Amino acid sequence: MNAPYDLTAAVARAPAEAAAAEAPLLELRAATVRVPGREFGPFDLRLAAGERVAILGPSGAGKSTLLKLMAGERSAAAGSVWLAGAALNGQPLARMARRRAVLPQAHAVAFGMAVELIVGLGRYAIEPDAQRTRIVAEALATAHAAHLVGRRFDTLSGGEQARVQLARVMAQLWDVQGALLLVDEPLAALDPGLQIELLEAITDYAARRGHALVAIVHDINQALAGFDRLWLVQDGRLAGDLKPGRAALPRLAELFGVELQWVGDAQHFAVAVRRRSTAGAA
Amino acid sequence: MAAHAEVAGAAVARAVPAVSTAVPGAWWVGLGLGAALLLALLAAAMSGAVAVQWSDWAALAQAERSGGALVLWELRLPRALFAAAVGAALGLAGALAQGLFRNPLADPGLLGVTAGAVCAVALVLTFFATVAAGLPPAWRPWVLPLAAFGGALAVCFVLDGVARWLMPGSIAGLLLTGLALNALAGAVVGLSVYVADDEQLRSLTFWTLGSLAGASWPVVGLLGLALAIGLWQGARLAKALNALALGESAAAHVGVDVQRLRTRLIVSVALLAALAVAWSGLIGFIGLMAPHLVRGVVGADHRAVLPLSALAGALLLLLADTVARTVVIPAELPVGIVTALIGAPVFMLLLRRMALRQGGHA
Repeated sequence: MNAPYDLTAAVARAPAEAAAAEAPLLELRAATVRVPGREFGPFDLRLAAGERVAILGPSGAGKSTLLKLMAGERSAAAGSVWLAGAALNGQPLARMARRRAVLPQAHAVAFGMAVELIVGLGRYAIEPDAQRTRIVAEALATAHAAHLVGRRFDTLSGGEQARVQLARVMAQLWDVQGALLLVDEPLAALDPGLQIELLEAITDYAARRGHALVAIVHDINQALAGFDRLWLVQDGRLAGDLKPGRAALPRLAELFGVELQWVGDAQHFAVAVRRRSTAGAA
Repeated sequence: MAAHAEVAGAAVARAVPAVSTAVPGAWWVGLGLGAALLLALLAAAMSGAVAVQWSDWAALAQAERSGGALVLWELRLPRALFAAAVGAALGLAGALAQGLFRNPLADPGLLGVTAGAVCAVALVLTFFATVAAGLPPAWRPWVLPLAAFGGALAVCFVLDGVARWLMPGSIAGLLLTGLALNALAGAVVGLSVYVADDEQLRSLTFWTLGSLAGASWPVVGLLGLALAIGLWQGARLAKALNALALGESAAAHVGVDVQRLRTRLIVSVALLAALAVAWSGLIGFIGLMAPHLVRGVVGADHRAVLPLSALAGALLLLLADTVARTVVIPAELPVGIVTALIGAPVFMLLLRRMALRQGGHA
C-alpha cells in the first residue's frame, strides 16, 4: 500500500486523443438493469477508444451489474447500450466477441484443461484463424504466462490462473483496434507485485491497440495511478465521473466512508487509507 | 475494425513459448481403442455356450450356412455389435452430459435420465398397454424407443432448469435432483409392477436389470444411425463445449450461443441415452467411466474426449457383456449387474478424488 505507483510513465497513450473525436466506442443512454427487487441506473455514459476507466464503489453498489450491462451479458430493461455505433441488444455474439472481451473475477474452469487450450478459446469466434498458434503464444508471453505452457489449468495457483485467463482475453482482441476490454476485479486476490505486473501488462496491451479499458478496482492507489477516469458507483447509480488526482480524494473518501490522506507530489504519490474519525460514524 | 496482425509483434520482448493447439496423441489412442474393440468383437463372437470354429466365418459368405455360421450371424454378431453400439451411445451421452453440466460426475444414469426413460417405458408397458396394442403393427416397434426418448428428454430439461438456479458447476444439487428423480421413477416402476400381469412383469424385470439379449440387426442399424447423429453433433459442438468449461458467461463472451448449445446438448444426450436404454434396460456407469478413462489419457479437450468416449464405452460394455454371457454358462447374468459391480467403486474413487481436490469443480 505504501509504495508509490509509477505506471503512467511506462505506458504509451497515443491513440486516446485521436479516437475521442469520433463517435464514442461505448455509449449508455439512460440504461437501467432490473433484477428481482432492485433496479440499477439509469446510467448515462460515453467512452472513447483508448480511454482507461476505473469503476469504484462499495460492495453491492452495482459495479458488477454495470459491467455486465456494458458486456451485453445483461440487457437493458429501459434505455439502450451502443457499442461501436451499433445497439448491443441483438448483435451476433461472434461479432461482439471481436469488439469486446471480459476478464472475469472467478477463474474456475471445469475438467483440468491444458493452458494453451484455454488461451486458444479466446479465438473461438474467429474462423478460419490462421494466426491462432502464433497469437496464443504471444498472448501467453504478454501475460507473463509463457512458462505455464503444457500445464493443466486446475493445477495452477491463483496467480497463475489469473495470468492464463488474462492471456485468453488478450488473444481474443489481439488483432483488432479500438475494442473494449472489461475487467472484473481480477487482481484483488493477488500479491501486490503481481498486481502491478499484470495491471501494467493490461494497460500496455490496451494502449498499443487503442482498446478502451474499463476495470472494477478496489485499490484506490491503483485507480488513481493507472486510469484516466474514475466512475463512482453508489446505491445502483453513477455517483461521479472524475479525473484521477488529488481533487478526487474528498469524493472517494465519502464514497467508502473512510479518511484519505495524499502523500507525495503529482507524479509520485500514495494515498493512505484510515478509519473515519468519530465525527463520521452514524 | 481492421486487422493489425503485427500491432504487438515487435513489442513482445519476452520469450514466446512454443505452443501446439492440436490434441497430442489422441489419434494413437483412437487407433489403439479401435484395434482393441475389433479384437473384443472377435472374442465376443467366438465365445459362448455353442462352440464356433474359424471355418464358420468363411461359411458366412456361402449360400448354405453351417450351424456355427448361423449362430454367428443370428446371435453372436448382432449381440456383440449391439453391445458395442449401446456402450458407445452411453459413453458419448456421458461425455456430452459432463460437458453440459461442467462436471465429471454427471452421468445420465446417476442424474436420472435413463430412469426417466425406463419410467416412461414402464408406463407404456402396463398402463398404456392396450393403447399400444391398438396401434398399427408397423408403428409398434417405435413405441418403446419414443416413450424412452420422451422420458429422457423430460428429465434432461428438469435437470437443466435445476442446474440454472443452483451454483454454477455445483454437482451436489444436480446429484440430489437425480436421486429424487431416480426415486420417483422407481416409484412409478414399482406401481407398474404392482398392476402388471405375469407377462408384463417379465418384461419389466428385464428392463430394470438391463440386458442385451434383445439384440437384432434392425435394432443395431437404428442404434448405429443414432450414434452417427450423436457423433456428428459432437464434432460440431466440441469447440463450444470446450468454451463452456470456462463458465456460461465466459463462453458467451468469446462468442458461444450458450442457450442454443444447451438445447442441442440436451436433445443429443436424451436421444443417445434413451435409445441405448430402449432395447436393453438400465445399464449404469458406462457413461461415467468411459469419459473419465479417456480424459485421464488424452486430457480434457472435447474434440478428442467425445469420439474416444464412444470408443471406450463400446469396448467397456462389450467386455462386460461377454463376461455376463460366459461366467455362468448356459445361463447369463444381466449385464447391468456387471457394469454396476465395476462402476460403483469407480464412482466412489472419483468422488474421493474430487473431495481431495477440494474445490468440487474439477
